[in-house]
Amino acid sequence: MRHVVQVGDMKIGIDGDVVVTHALGSCLGFMLYDPVARVGGLLHAMLPLSRINPQKAEANPYMFVDTGVVRLFNEIYNRGGKKSRLVAKAAGCGRPIGNNEMFKIGERNYTVLKKLLWKNNILLDAEAVGGTVSRTVHFYISSGKIIIKTGQQETEL
Amino acid sequence: MKPGRMDKIISDVKSFPSMSNMPVKILKLIDDPQSSAAKIEELLRYDPGITANILKLTNSAYFGLSSRVGSVRQAIVLLGWRHLGKLVVASCVNAILDKPVPGYDLPAGELWRHSIAVSVAAELLAKELGISANDEIFTAALLHDLGKLVLANYVREDLQAIETAAGEGIPFHAAERRVLGTDHAEIGARLLKSWSFPLSLVKAVRWHHDPDAAKEPRAITDLVHVANMLCLMIGIGVGREGLRYEPSQAAAKRLGLKTRQLEFVASQTLQWANELSEVFEAGQANVGSPPATGAE
Repeated sequence: MRHVVQVGDMKIGIDGDVVVTHALGSCLGFMLYDPVARVGGLLHAMLPLSRINPQKAEANPYMFVDTGVVRLFNEIYNRGGKKSRLVAKAAGCGRPIGNNEMFKIGERNYTVLKKLLWKNNILLDAEAVGGTVSRTVHFYISSGKIIIKTGQQETEL
Repeated sequence: MKPGRMDKIISDVKSFPSMSNMPVKILKLIDDPQSSAAKIEELLRYDPGITANILKLTNSAYFGLSSRVGSVRQAIVLLGWRHLGKLVVASCVNAILDKPVPGYDLPAGELWRHSIAVSVAAELLAKELGISANDEIFTAALLHDLGKLVLANYVREDLQAIETAAGEGIPFHAAERRVLGTDHAEIGARLLKSWSFPLSLVKAVRWHHDPDAAKEPRAITDLVHVANMLCLMIGIGVGREGLRYEPSQAAAKRLGLKTRQLEFVASQTLQWANELSEVFEAGQANVGSPPATGAE
């Protein structure tokens, strides 16, 4: 089955599924995978911290990196995922041209993710982050393979 | 730049299908203190498609009205005059902005979704910053990328050269200008000027990527600039150029915008943009006046 993850959402896939998200600009795409349980999830979070809009975070925790990442881990654990086997990868977190701090939402998203992972003793296995490109992610749950598309270019993460 | 290219683009601007003169007429009526709801209703009577779209928008969750609105007059009473102008424009331009945009790699519907999102974000920013919102902000934001429709085929034709120029680190519209002699912001402004839209709206469209280059800074231009940047960043209607535009430090400063406010607006924009753009998806047959023929 093909699951499409919209901005501010998360989808879990099982063996045979492909989980897709489009147009990752400054948003974070975070992929978590257990190769034994063959379960994986893809989060497309827009903003770093839920405290910017607690009401929104309550209604939709996947809009924010801090609440969304925690939820994704829990969903994977609920479906048989084990922390020791988890593979974590990140994509997106891009930025416009120039050095305008206010518009570095992508960098703030990435920083919050790294802090959360570091606190929980988890390292990123791969990442395709930063730059000015818009990325599309295809996450194949049977193999754990992740393909990143930017324009006409495709690379495996 | 290829010889004769600019002349060809200008000729395309002149023959671009007009979106019906309804929005300009309505905006004038709204500005006129002698005007009345009856006059507007009279004008809209001849365009049932636009009337239907206005009612659908009025009844959308965005406006949060508790009772269902069945007539334009009722819509004016409940929403007020200020909202009516932007609803008319949105109803008229949906059919134009809904098309795929080659060159920029925007599939059908994406430019519309982007335009609506930028309008919503610009209004939310104005509200957050305590800037008195007028319907021109919404309308300018809605129309800011109109020029892409004229320039699309030229961008596709010279994509390699534009990509090479943009690869040097200059913003995408500057790369368009270097290769084509103009950019989508300038072309959009020319179109709107030829359709007699208010000057402040034309200028907001003209300088939406480069608000510091405008002769006099205006909040409407800065708002469209910031809202556009924000919507691209959160992936609404982002095309092949990705995030290759530069947000202006000075515009954010002029607006008094804080990071917290920018992120808060981002968190609000998505839901309303989806609500409004979906209003039209439900009834594609009900678009406003069909555009006149004559353009490529």
